[in-house]
Amino acid sequence: MSKQKKIRTGKGIHRREFIKNSAIVGTGLMLPFGVPTLLRAAPRKIKIGSIQPVTGPLAVIGQGQRKANIMAAKQINAAGGIKSLGGAHLELLLGDSESKPEVGRQEADRLIKEGAVALQGPFQSGTAMAIATLAEQRQVPFVMDVAALDAITQKGYHYSFRVFITARGLVGGAINFLKQVVDMKGVAPKTAVVTNTADPFGKGMSGGFLKGLEKSGMPIKILERIQYPLGIQDLSGEVAKIKSLKPDLIFPVSRPGDSVILTRELYKQRVPLMGIYCPGSPGWYEPHVVKDLDKLILYVLVNVPWINPLSTVYQHANAAFKKEFNQTLDTNSAYAYTGTLVVADALERAGSVQADDIVAALKQTNFKDHPVLGGPIQFAENGDNKGASTGLLQIQPDPVPEKRVRVVLPKNFAQSQEIVFPWPQLWER
Amino acid sequence: MDISLAIQLMVQGILLGGIYGLIAVGLSLIFGVMGVINFAHGQMMVLGMYISYWILVLVGLDPYLSLVLVAVVTAMLGYVIQATVVNRILDFPEAMQVVPLVSIGLIIENCILFMWGPDHRSPNTALGLESIHFGDVMIDASRLMAFVLAILITGLIFWFLRNNNIGKSMRAAADNRIGALVVGINVDRINNYAFALGAATTGAAGALLIPLIPVSPHLGHDFTLTAFVVVILGGMGNLVGALVGGLILGVAESMSTLWLPPTLKHVVSFSLLVLIMLFKPKGLFGGK
Amino acid sequence: MKRLYVLLAFILLILLVLPMFLEKYTLGIFIMIFYYAYLGQSWNILTGYTGHISLGHALYIGIGAYTSTYLAITFGLTPWVGMIAGGLVAVAVALFKGFLGFRFGLRGVYFVILTIAFAEITRLIVSHIEALGSFSGIFLDFNPSFWNFQFRGNKPYYYISLGMMVASVGVVRVLELSRIGRFMVAIREDEEAAQAVGVNSFKYSMIALSISAFMTALAGTFYANYIFYLHPNSVFGMGLSIELILRPIIGGMGTALGPIVGSFILTPLSEMSRAYFSKGGMEGLHLVLYGVLAIIVVLFMRKGILTYLAAGLNKIIRFKS
Repeated sequence: MSKQKKIRTGKGIHRREFIKNSAIVGTGLMLPFGVPTLLRAAPRKIKIGSIQPVTGPLAVIGQGQRKANIMAAKQINAAGGIKSLGGAHLELLLGDSESKPEVGRQEADRLIKEGAVALQGPFQSGTAMAIATLAEQRQVPFVMDVAALDAITQKGYHYSFRVFITARGLVGGAINFLKQVVDMKGVAPKTAVVTNTADPFGKGMSGGFLKGLEKSGMPIKILERIQYPLGIQDLSGEVAKIKSLKPDLIFPVSRPGDSVILTRELYKQRVPLMGIYCPGSPGWYEPHVVKDLDKLILYVLVNVPWINPLSTVYQHANAAFKKEFNQTLDTNSAYAYTGTLVVADALERAGSVQADDIVAALKQTNFKDHPVLGGPIQFAENGDNKGASTGLLQIQPDPVPEKRVRVVLPKNFAQSQEIVFPWPQLWER
Repeated sequence: MDISLAIQLMVQGILLGGIYGLIAVGLSLIFGVMGVINFAHGQMMVLGMYISYWILVLVGLDPYLSLVLVAVVTAMLGYVIQATVVNRILDFPEAMQVVPLVSIGLIIENCILFMWGPDHRSPNTALGLESIHFGDVMIDASRLMAFVLAILITGLIFWFLRNNNIGKSMRAAADNRIGALVVGINVDRINNYAFALGAATTGAAGALLIPLIPVSPHLGHDFTLTAFVVVILGGMGNLVGALVGGLILGVAESMSTLWLPPTLKHVVSFSLLVLIMLFKPKGLFGGK
Repeated sequence: MKRLYVLLAFILLILLVLPMFLEKYTLGIFIMIFYYAYLGQSWNILTGYTGHISLGHALYIGIGAYTSTYLAITFGLTPWVGMIAGGLVAVAVALFKGFLGFRFGLRGVYFVILTIAFAEITRLIVSHIEALGSFSGIFLDFNPSFWNFQFRGNKPYYYISLGMMVASVGVVRVLELSRIGRFMVAIREDEEAAQAVGVNSFKYSMIALSISAFMTALAGTFYANYIFYLHPNSVFGMGLSIELILRPIIGGMGTALGPIVGSFILTPLSEMSRAYFSKGGMEGLHLVLYGVLAIIVVLFMRKGILTYLAAGLNKIIRFKS
């Protein structure tokens, strides 16, 4: 807060006046050399804090998030920066949450101290909760690119905005698609086990899914809900329990680490299933997971906010991402990319770096040129994105690993018309 | 209660228990010979895990084969630690020995963090996804291999202590330090060897574990505590007790998942620890 | 002696005035210094003075933090009162632990292991209690107000932690001069001899343990309302138990100022290490340094750096005058 005051009354104005004066003098001196030289001489820097879980259990995702933030900022700068602020360039200050909420909060505090006028990140719901609280304390706008926990936007905080879908939204999509698949295939799963990481997202999401499933009236009985800590390394006991329960389906709310361990253990212990249906969580579509699990991940169904395969924005961004980082722009990184675009868009409309102006501009957001499924990004009163939605994916065989993750529903975005359900058993592939 | 589930859990418990036993034997040996409780035991094991991981990634040598190399490296480290630090604290009151050893553990843990980063490392080993099936019971190939090797190594240590001169001197020093000095045994040197041997066994256990569980720098504490439970269960300084204690603990922890969430496993071991300390401090098989 | 008091008063004055010149982030570093100094001092009472080594002191931090936070969330109870409740729960647990330990004759290393076991068991159990947030922990809402023990800037936290630190020094000094304190030291030096001359070692060990537990729990409440996030691993964890003993050990166990000096030396190192080295896992480097220092101190400077510092300072002061 004091930083912003300084800009308004102290150093800031002096700097602006200095620039103005030097601009006048400079124009006189430099006219012979052409105006472009002058314009290149003084782009201001707008600092934005990007906090991602670059180390820890979510490291692989976090690194992709950070790269996407960086690429988005670069593209905005290359296109002329924030024109309403004199072509000012975005400077990303990087923070590592280490996949831990308290570290994320400390990093956010550090980035604010270093001059960040807005924060974005942090992929993880728990960390988002911690940063949202800090953002409210320090009165700095915070745009969540990926974080689904409902509670974050239910605290009455004014400074936090969420581009991603909420857990409730995820649940709605999951049940909707599950009904469609069951109807289409004429198969009736009767029992299931829910597993989840016992972090805020895992618990909130699986709890919401259990309630949603009950309300939906689908005749699937939940035999057990198995929770385990984020970062667990051994699920043999849990899988032995699952095996003894003999469920038709598993509904996992997971992370890339435990999804791999879970699937391998299911394979080793030969647990017969109709399939795995993820109601909405990481772990089943990330490029490194698809590669690591290879045959074992085929035919998993995942309901998740996804990139829009038909969007030109996506196609351009994906091509650029591949070129620069040799990586596909998946849904998580696409959302990180979008987050930066949303912040830049708000800065553009605000024409100022004052927190309250940015917040006012964010409230008016109506952002259409984004690479993900769903309508234009518009923030509700509590900060949630009204336009967010999901798609149903299935991992299907393909010689090219990148092409294995395919949208199967909604039909008009489908990359594959075929849905395989129930699946061939893990050890029979 | 599902019988096949119970049997599955018991089998898994025995297999893991063998490794617990191996770790505990090292701890018990160090205590028996020197009277020092190695609070850095778990961290040394983690170091063993990282070294064998490194060898696997750099040279492609499977942990079961690089076992010996890993044991040698950790032995050397153990020797150095004993000669420089532990030697000087042998006459301290027991409780004051805690701090230097905890500090050594802290140093090892954070050097590991510095060298390899905080993320979990999980190499794909040859036996990684293999399993043997007896009806409904599945035996993890890696676990079985680890168990067999753990028992072999423990047996080797017993043989060493019984038949080798240095080993015999260790037993002498363990039984009676003054007496050992009197008969001319270089107790300082024996201490160095004992600590090195203890470190080697725990390092070797690490090499056996890396195909089973991913390693991360902070794994040490858990294993140090588990080793304590086993050693106290079996009796401080009682090597056979350490092995049997390991098996008992492995089974107890594994079977507890029938009633408890698997993540509460350690509550069973730590509660057992407290109970034994209160009511049978000499352990089930008698110790010092 | 008088010169020492003057010096201390001078330092205190500087500390009181500092917030006018420092910004939030640097104040945060001082807050951590005071916080760890206070923790180390609380531990010092049990271990430095009475001689029972505890490696599971984080247990009490967790108890304090979770108790006051739970009461605040469920009943809206102000943490200022919740803090006391947390302290009382901590004392109850400490008495139980002490009873088991001292009555059953667990001494030396066995007592150490008991303290570790208690902390770990509690950590695991709390990780499974839904009402306490289980594995995800508790996120505290930001509702700044004095009664909520939550503040917008860092200055209030600075003064509270400074106050706690100074009070802890006061408590230790009072103990040092009292009969209780002398008995505690007697137990530390030679428990059997002390009992032989009629000191009820059980009673005074329990008193020391209770005071230590109560004080430590208060720090837990402070922590919860400063960081706004509680997780069983971070408040009950072994890492914390080990970190909090390093400052008093290096600074000087069994002295009133040792933990303070230790914290002023070590804490800035850890903050720097995090700020400059945190890219890529180097953030543990300060712990390596701590470990080395601790070994050096225990092997060669048993009384801690403070004693050597004081001796050195004495020489300088005498030389100057």
